[in-house]
Amino acid sequence: VRVISDRAGRGLLPALGPGPRCPLPLRPWRLQVGAVRSLHTGPALLSVRKFTEKHEWITTENGIGTVGISNFAQEALGDVVYFSLPEIGTKLKKQDEFGALESVKAASELYSPLSGEVTEVNEALAENPGLVNKSCYEDGWLIKMALSNPSELDERMSEEAYEKYLKSVEE
Amino acid sequence: MIPFSMKNCFQFLCNHKVPAAGFKTTPKGGLILQSVSNDVYQNLAVEDWIHDYISLEGKPVLFFWRNSPSVVIGRHQNPWQECNLNLMREEGIKLARRKSGGGTVYHDLGNINMTFFTTKNKYDRMENLQLIVRALNAVQPQLDVQATKRFDLLLDGQFKISGTASKIGRTNTYHHCTLLCSTDRTALSSLLKSPYQGIESRATASIPSTVKNLLEKDPTLTCEVLMSAIAAEYAAHHHIKNHVHLINPADETVFPGVNSKVQELRSWEWIYGRTPKFSVNTTFNVLHEQTHLEIKVFLDIKDGRIEICNIKAPDHWLPLELCDQLNSSLIGSKFCPIETAMLTNIILRTYPGDYKLHSKWNILCEKMRGIM
Repeated sequence: VRVISDRAGRGLLPALGPGPRCPLPLRPWRLQVGAVRSLHTGPALLSVRKFTEKHEWITTENGIGTVGISNFAQEALGDVVYFSLPEIGTKLKKQDEFGALESVKAASELYSPLSGEVTEVNEALAENPGLVNKSCYEDGWLIKMALSNPSELDERMSEEAYEKYLKSVEE
Repeated sequence: MIPFSMKNCFQFLCNHKVPAAGFKTTPKGGLILQSVSNDVYQNLAVEDWIHDYISLEGKPVLFFWRNSPSVVIGRHQNPWQECNLNLMREEGIKLARRKSGGGTVYHDLGNINMTFFTTKNKYDRMENLQLIVRALNAVQPQLDVQATKRFDLLLDGQFKISGTASKIGRTNTYHHCTLLCSTDRTALSSLLKSPYQGIESRATASIPSTVKNLLEKDPTLTCEVLMSAIAAEYAAHHHIKNHVHLINPADETVFPGVNSKVQELRSWEWIYGRTPKFSVNTTFNVLHEQTHLEIKVFLDIKDGRIEICNIKAPDHWLPLELCDQLNSSLIGSKFCPIETAMLTNIILRTYPGDYKLHSKWNILCEKMRGIM
């Protein structure tokens, strides 16, 4: 089953079959964000994307957060030519500097939006740092971390709130 | 001894938060600084300090600094790829890694470094370069200097006289650039040419350019004249007093914490250890009893330390067990000629009296140190 992306480029998990809370028949179909929300009454398998004022995004799945930078950030930075990312096992507190990137614009520090321990680093970025420009919400993710304080997510902006924030920043 | 007014102005910049609300136009302000030090590490440290601690809202800063002969590489570069480290050690030329991106440059007292500090929303490299161009034309209206899309400054449309790099932090940014007035061009070209073969790396690479000194174009364009002109243009542009404050970057009372930044910038871990992972795949040619033989060398280097070491010398030349000893002892050690010399000397002591072996060993070790 193909993974369908919505307008914001969010990847959605493929439907493997009718789950315990999904009454619909098994057949390939086009998933839409709204449809998923109304079908599941329990916690979503993949959380909605949250954003920070520093233009990072986070999604979580079973306590593991995936971190990336937003479309606004990748456009502002220009072509990324190098990523310096942390080692697996690095413990981070919210706002800690976890790495750096270099783009045609400048060398910029990367700050952790949440507290936790790094479990995975996107190795594809070492070979192809431009992936973050081409696909900032999917293939261009930066790190995954085991969250030590998942309530920190509540403080983060939803996509709508982030879009409003961007408008205010651009003024 | 820093004048009282100077100390005051730093305190003012550090503690004062200009309230944005209620102001239609930001009050004009700013500061022009010049370092009294020629030490590249001290200058980079104070630059970092200003970036970290000074509130730049409505108060941008311009900082002039010059260094004694040094090679400065960009944050994510590989010094083995960018410059002749052996020559630098022989000549006592310092190597520094800066925190901004970009390529490798050679500094000496004939080169002016300028750092433009601003808040994030005022970050504008082209504006800064245009300011420099205006200043140069104010001194010499006939001078043909232009900024390129890559933020270089070109003289007569072909000679690079300035390169740019920058850093973006949480709230502040800086854009710094060089300006070639009377730099030793012979030293520049020999030092910025790497002799090291077989390096495979994902580090950011420099783009070599033909350079020229402004002094060669016009003998009135000395460092002092140019700094003065740029300071005047900056002061006019920001409506501030044209006064250059001299600062001592080693002064902890004005810049508390600056010396620990100096130590970090001087450390092997920062300069060499921050090199992105790379490999060396090369061959040594050795003359042995009128024939050439090849020693194959493969190394994987991470954080400046040898992770994989595969040196293969023909076993009729050097016993296999000695080669194996060399390979295993180098793993985990710094990719550094001094450390390698120490380790290889220790191994050699376990084979006393075998002069033929010693001489072969020395040949191999000298070649190994030569690629570091």
